[in-house]
Amino acid sequence: MRLLLVEDEIDIQSFLRRSLEESGYQVEVASDGKTAQRLAAESSFDILIVDLGLPDQDGISLILRLRQLGLTAPVLILSARRSVDDRVRGLEQGGDDYLTKPFALAELLARLRNLLKRNSSAAGEATRLRVLDLELDLLRREASRGGQVLQLTQQEFVLLEYLCKNAGRVVTRSMILDKVWGMRIQPDTNVVDVHIYRLRGKVDGAGQQPLIRTMRGVGYVLKDR
Amino acid sequence: MSLKTDKPPMRSAAWRISLWATLAFACGTMVVFVFLQSFVAGDIQRRSDAWLSGEVEVLGDVAERTPKDALYGRVVGEVAELAAREVPNKEASETASNDSVFFLQSGVDGSLKLWVGVGNGQDHLKAIRATEIPPDHPTDVRVPGFRVPFRVACLRADDGSHIYLGLSERDELRVLRSLRLRFFLLWLLIVLLGFGIVFLTTRRMLSHVQKITEAASRIGHSDLIARVPTTKRNDEVSHLALTLNRMLDRIESSMHQLHTITDSLAHDLRSPLTAIRGKLEMSLSTITDGEQIDPIVSVIDELDRLTDFLNKSLDVAEAKADALRLTRSAVDLNELLRVMIDLYEPSMSERGLRVSLQSSGPVRILADAALLHRMVANLLDNELNHLPANRTLTIQLRGKEDTASLILEDDGPGFDSEVLLHVFERRVKGRDSSGHGLGLAFVDAVARAHGGSVAVSNREGGGARIAITLPASPEPSSHSQLLASSSSN
Repeated sequence: MRLLLVEDEIDIQSFLRRSLEESGYQVEVASDGKTAQRLAAESSFDILIVDLGLPDQDGISLILRLRQLGLTAPVLILSARRSVDDRVRGLEQGGDDYLTKPFALAELLARLRNLLKRNSSAAGEATRLRVLDLELDLLRREASRGGQVLQLTQQEFVLLEYLCKNAGRVVTRSMILDKVWGMRIQPDTNVVDVHIYRLRGKVDGAGQQPLIRTMRGVGYVLKDR
Repeated sequence: MSLKTDKPPMRSAAWRISLWATLAFACGTMVVFVFLQSFVAGDIQRRSDAWLSGEVEVLGDVAERTPKDALYGRVVGEVAELAAREVPNKEASETASNDSVFFLQSGVDGSLKLWVGVGNGQDHLKAIRATEIPPDHPTDVRVPGFRVPFRVACLRADDGSHIYLGLSERDELRVLRSLRLRFFLLWLLIVLLGFGIVFLTTRRMLSHVQKITEAASRIGHSDLIARVPTTKRNDEVSHLALTLNRMLDRIESSMHQLHTITDSLAHDLRSPLTAIRGKLEMSLSTITDGEQIDPIVSVIDELDRLTDFLNKSLDVAEAKADALRLTRSAVDLNELLRVMIDLYEPSMSERGLRVSLQSSGPVRILADAALLHRMVANLLDNELNHLPANRTLTIQLRGKEDTASLILEDDGPGFDSEVLLHVFERRVKGRDSSGHGLGLAFVDAVARAHGGSVAVSNREGGGARIAITLPASPEPSSHSQLLASSSSN
């Protein structure tokens, strides 16, 4: 996967480059809009990360310019602005996504994956999910582990479904809040953790291998190995 | 949809202005018409008096010259008949006999000598006797049996007899009556026409003012790009519009400055925060030792709280300057609260708290959903952090015609009295509070940005009460649209 990172802050550039390369991306870096345009013209990229505050031009203008020049790859917009302005919203509707700084790396990676998935295949969603001995029937909204049906509430099922779809990958609390509850909030209480504890109590019964793991400081992961 | 159609025309300023203008106009024209009418009436009277005086003189002359023989009565009668045919203002009589004129000659002894007219003339003679009629000055005489008085001229003949010529005022009154009727109809027409013209022109003028008002109310707290409509005419209304627009220009530029400051502040703080957080996360992935993880995890948590604090305090600062930018969409508060309570309920019951929502159904408002989520999360975080175990939080949602109210009541210790006074100020918090003291200031900021308000008090039986009022829509006129669109869904 070839990725073009357009970001002028050296500190952010370096850690993003490292963690993206660790996740298997081939990263090219541009520190300003001009370089980004040149790189995009020279070779093709599968995905772009563009910071809105570039030294020579506005990130949105850059994206629109690149689109005019025939860029089709999805763009993840990084914004240090507080409010999401209408033009970003417009790009979001056009298939791109945005993330406000500061962000968790797990969330950045998840959004990149989503953008690439959205772009590559529009294949029908699976109706069954299977992670080790955990099985989810998405049509009947029923989960079972080792053949034993789990008594989950509607909300717990949605939460487990989200964890299963991201099995093996870390999801952060704000990703869970966004995808399961549909809100971008930053509670200063442990509301998400309590939901996870409850779900864990039902999924990881006594004597079973624990599936839901806490990644301290980052979030949660559903083990797939 | 405009405000005009919502309001009956009777209550508009245009209606009142045209009513008063028309009243003044009607009184003025009425006075003119009354004056005209009395002038015409006087003129008609004078003309008929002149005719009477002239005719009575002719008749007197004829009576004097005609020998007093058998033919006398016929000759004088004939002359009187002829005179009667020339009566001024005469209307074609339905009856053959002419009852509007009479000629009467009384002898020296006062007896009836000659009578030309309808009837036997005795009543007329009696009535004339009862009235003093000066010569050369026609006078009104009421004759029994006639509704309308006669105008009677008198001439004293040389032989001592009196000659009277009477003319009924019927025709004269008829003329005046028809004149009055025409005057009245004309007056009514002019007044109605005048009212119509005044009403239409003032309404047209005021509709410009109305448009300005509507446009100005659309220009919300944060949307300052729009301007009120201006007209090319160089009148007071267009001056008002231009002045408003210039004022908006100035407000927009200072608002823009504020946004620039807060945005660059946010940017300058966020970039290092992003770098720090990223590096910490990177190091976290390489460490496996549990003891080394702990400090890093707590630093990441602190960073997230710092970011949240930064966001909230900038939001509060902007809201205090009425500059918080909103992205409004139709939001069902009932649904929003259910989802949020669903999110918070496990944490609450974990701490032994009960939470209940009292709502009678969907309450739709036009609002910024993300800000409302953060606002409610703040309120629930507050309760979660401050309410002792085994207490109950009750959330009531009420939707009225154009406002929604959200009331949170708990049976906890309530607010400290000092805190209660400054509860919306930044960094004011209770003694045992671990928060950064922005919670309620942020709640207040969100409510204010939506044009609503927050009231905080202690309940009588103990416990805190927070009442939030939010308007259903930023301007009254779009509320009905919202209702229309929500009911069609």
